[in-house]
Amino acid sequence: MAGEPTVTVIIVGGGTAGWMTAAALVKLLPSRCNVHLVESEAIGIVGVGEATLPHIRGFNDRLGINEAEFMAATRATFKLGIEFQGWGRPGDSYIHPFGTFGSGKSAVDLHHYWSRLEEASGAAPAIGEYSMAVTMAYMNRFARPDPDPDKIESTFNYAYQFDAMLFAPFLRRTAEDLGARRTEGRIVDVELDGESGDVAAIVLETGERIEGDLFVDCSGFVSLLIGKAMGEPFEDWSQWLPCDRAVAMPCRTRTALTPYTSAVAMDAGWRWRIPLQHRTGNGYVYSSAFISDDDARVALVGAVEGESIAEPRILRFKAGRRKRSWVRNCVAVGLASGFLEPLESTSIYLIQAAISTLVELFPQQKQVSALDRDEFNRLIDLEYDRIRDFLILHYHATERSGLPFWDYVRTMQVPDTLHQKLELFRRRGRIAKYREGVFLDASWIAVYIGQRVVPQGHDMRADLPSTDVLARRMEALRLEIRAKAAALPDHRSYIERYCPMEEAA
Amino acid sequence: MTAPGSIRSVVVGGGGITAWSAAAALKRGIPTLDVTVVSSPVTDDAIADRLPSTLPSIAGFHQDLGLAEADTVIRAQSGLRVGTIFDGWSLGLPPYVHAYGNYGTAVEGVPFHQLWLRARAANGAAPFDRFSLAAELGRLGRIGSAAPTAPPIGYGLHLTLDRYLALMRDFALHLGVQEQACRGFETKVDSESGFVEMLTFDSGTTVAGDLFVDCTGPSASIRSALDDSFEDWSSWLPCDRLLIATGRSSDDAGLLDRVSATANGWRWQSCCWRGAVYSSAHAKEAVAEDGTEINIRQGCRHQPWLRNCVAIGDSAVTVEPLEWANLHLAHSQIDRLIAMMPGRDCAPVELAEYNRQCLDEARRVRDFLCMHYVTARRDEPFWKEASTIAPPQSLAHTLALFAERGRIPYYEEETFSRDSWVAVLLGQGFEPRQTEPLADMLSLEEIQGELDRHSDFIRGFVGAQPMYLDYMASLSGTLQ
Repeated sequence: MAGEPTVTVIIVGGGTAGWMTAAALVKLLPSRCNVHLVESEAIGIVGVGEATLPHIRGFNDRLGINEAEFMAATRATFKLGIEFQGWGRPGDSYIHPFGTFGSGKSAVDLHHYWSRLEEASGAAPAIGEYSMAVTMAYMNRFARPDPDPDKIESTFNYAYQFDAMLFAPFLRRTAEDLGARRTEGRIVDVELDGESGDVAAIVLETGERIEGDLFVDCSGFVSLLIGKAMGEPFEDWSQWLPCDRAVAMPCRTRTALTPYTSAVAMDAGWRWRIPLQHRTGNGYVYSSAFISDDDARVALVGAVEGESIAEPRILRFKAGRRKRSWVRNCVAVGLASGFLEPLESTSIYLIQAAISTLVELFPQQKQVSALDRDEFNRLIDLEYDRIRDFLILHYHATERSGLPFWDYVRTMQVPDTLHQKLELFRRRGRIAKYREGVFLDASWIAVYIGQRVVPQGHDMRADLPSTDVLARRMEALRLEIRAKAAALPDHRSYIERYCPMEEAA
Repeated sequence: MTAPGSIRSVVVGGGGITAWSAAAALKRGIPTLDVTVVSSPVTDDAIADRLPSTLPSIAGFHQDLGLAEADTVIRAQSGLRVGTIFDGWSLGLPPYVHAYGNYGTAVEGVPFHQLWLRARAANGAAPFDRFSLAAELGRLGRIGSAAPTAPPIGYGLHLTLDRYLALMRDFALHLGVQEQACRGFETKVDSESGFVEMLTFDSGTTVAGDLFVDCTGPSASIRSALDDSFEDWSSWLPCDRLLIATGRSSDDAGLLDRVSATANGWRWQSCCWRGAVYSSAHAKEAVAEDGTEINIRQGCRHQPWLRNCVAIGDSAVTVEPLEWANLHLAHSQIDRLIAMMPGRDCAPVELAEYNRQCLDEARRVRDFLCMHYVTARRDEPFWKEASTIAPPQSLAHTLALFAERGRIPYYEEETFSRDSWVAVLLGQGFEPRQTEPLADMLSLEEIQGELDRHSDFIRGFVGAQPMYLDYMASLSGTLQ
């Protein structure tokens, strides 16, 4: 719009966070900003978050990204949820689905009726059998949700499992086509304005000096701007989330192509398994206080199912976040702002949340308003805090014992906010109600019940109908879901038809 | 560990529509409960029971109960309402309508008001409320059975008190609720547990129960026996007096109420009621008619639910009837009570979650009401003082963000939609400094096209609807 100022945005770092930010800004605010991204090919990208949450679909849609093209380019598969193996007790398994239990539309959540069946018989089928998403996942089926909200085939959502190394280049094409500038180079200095403390410019190895109005720190763990240059303190959450390393190693896929990610409990952490079209991603997230790097590497190599296709690689991190993600004229997006382990595939979600909030609160002038900045920080903190509690729940709600790591997390003191949520569920299966936040009721229910947090009572509205009638209805629902899921296409054949990858790995 | 025992018997205190609605909903939602209403006369200051204009949410409450519109609208002789005209709240500005439902439609994720602000700055535009379908229906007095393609129109009700009360009482009794009538009762608290034990009346009659639901109005005859810890909102909501005029309004029935600012408060005129709300510390409001004058103390209980006694409606939260949220709050609390029914021990962890939601909701209604005062612009001392009120933190946050870029932050348990907030703010002339950069996504021509398209749609739709009074007459006709 004529007369409105154009803000020069400098994005530092070109991984997933950097290119997602660049693409969103040039697409959504073309007249308000010039986007200039600086990255160095010499610095690798961490490429976290190969597995995503359904929210990414909205992000891609807004960017006008064609799903099949995107999936082919990133060798993506569909994802209906996350399977947790061995978390409650060794041998346990459940899926946290992207979908509801039952229709999700009745006044009383289905798990209250399920609790009644369990109380009556002690041998109710697993609650996942009443979830369309879980049932499809275990059968390796996939189809898009039915648009008719009255059908049980509409009660799930989906996300993707993709190769993060390929996602950034894919977005780079989108962003550059729309006018984003890119400069290759290693940053050697960050100049702060002596008076205001704002970032004034970054200086490259070549001596080139790049000025801007707004700086977006997508530099990853190194947190070049907000951490190193501006010294924003880091809030350490490792007392609750003690895992601080991961060893990653891809392998060939041996089994069927599962439409879900797996998280398998290990002696000192857990192991991810993410099936892509051309390979399976694996990694062991562990706490260095409880296991050595060498032992972790051996454990991972021993556990993966197929032939490895790269050497194991070790990553180091710390759970927590910057006290503020937006300081002065510098916004941190992605790992530069904080880290939560990929247990619930939240890394890309957090990037996305930061970007949409930034777009909504984008400066109206070259000068950033403190009000907008505070609002951004309030909203992002809320996202981090809610996810933090949800992740801690997975470790804490366990009966595993005899291993020092699990003994620690089982007995540790959890944040009060989580303690109250747990107590509330234990009493009568109730979920603390918040409309804002990424994980809604069905997610909490899946993890509580999947990890043996058994409610002592249920919602009184579920006292009717009689046990016999209830058992019959629940069985009819279970069989309907099974039949509907069995009629859907196989996951791999759906992909081969819809979005086969462009070339062989 | 075995489950704590379930609540089996509930005693509801109070004799107004709040009490009978609570009893009916409890029995309907949890049929295994024994529900007894200890009915006592409604006190003057029970606003939800005495000023029965409602928000559209009442339709959902009726639906959950299984009550059809044939009962709640036609047989109970209720009127319909789609919003309120605010008159004289900001000098120099025309009256504006706060109607229920959308104002325009968002385009590519950009809220409509952002587009409207840009269009108006560039070319001028019709007032914001002309883009509300409900406001236009109200202004022209048209409403009807929506065509299948029409957007859903939510309407609130003007209840005819005695008829509606009779309907709700009959329905509750039909569902199996018991009644014990009395002129008043005493609350007996167990000295050891601190739980309410029973209500006693008429020299010796007693009603005991597991849970006591206090619907007796601000005096909270049951709940106040446990504690009286109260969050006072008088520094934010400056009115402390309510006058309800005697007799029905002579005006033609309309779909919009009129709320006019006065020297020291405001007065309303709806199809069946009129009255005034004002600050007694300022010059006394001159109202021509006689009526009941009552003191109101605005605020809420810190713990609406304590031990085995939960306060519902005015006994939990008292606010002036500006925006008619009183009965809505009662309904919302009743729904929450049913959904969160605890064990007989009323464990603090369960009550805490109930109270959190209840307070979040009440405080946000408080903010919405307070917003009317702090953003009004009038010359009288009362209004000058009101404009200097330091709002509660959550409202200050909302106003600051709106003033900066027209953004309404989301709060948990919000009663009024974003469009409601925007309609009142813009109607009172409280305008953002700038629009969101995201609104630049569309060119001015595209925005103008959106505005025109929407106006055309409203004009076409409204014109095709029957007149409100004809419509009501035809409904009654079909019933006979």
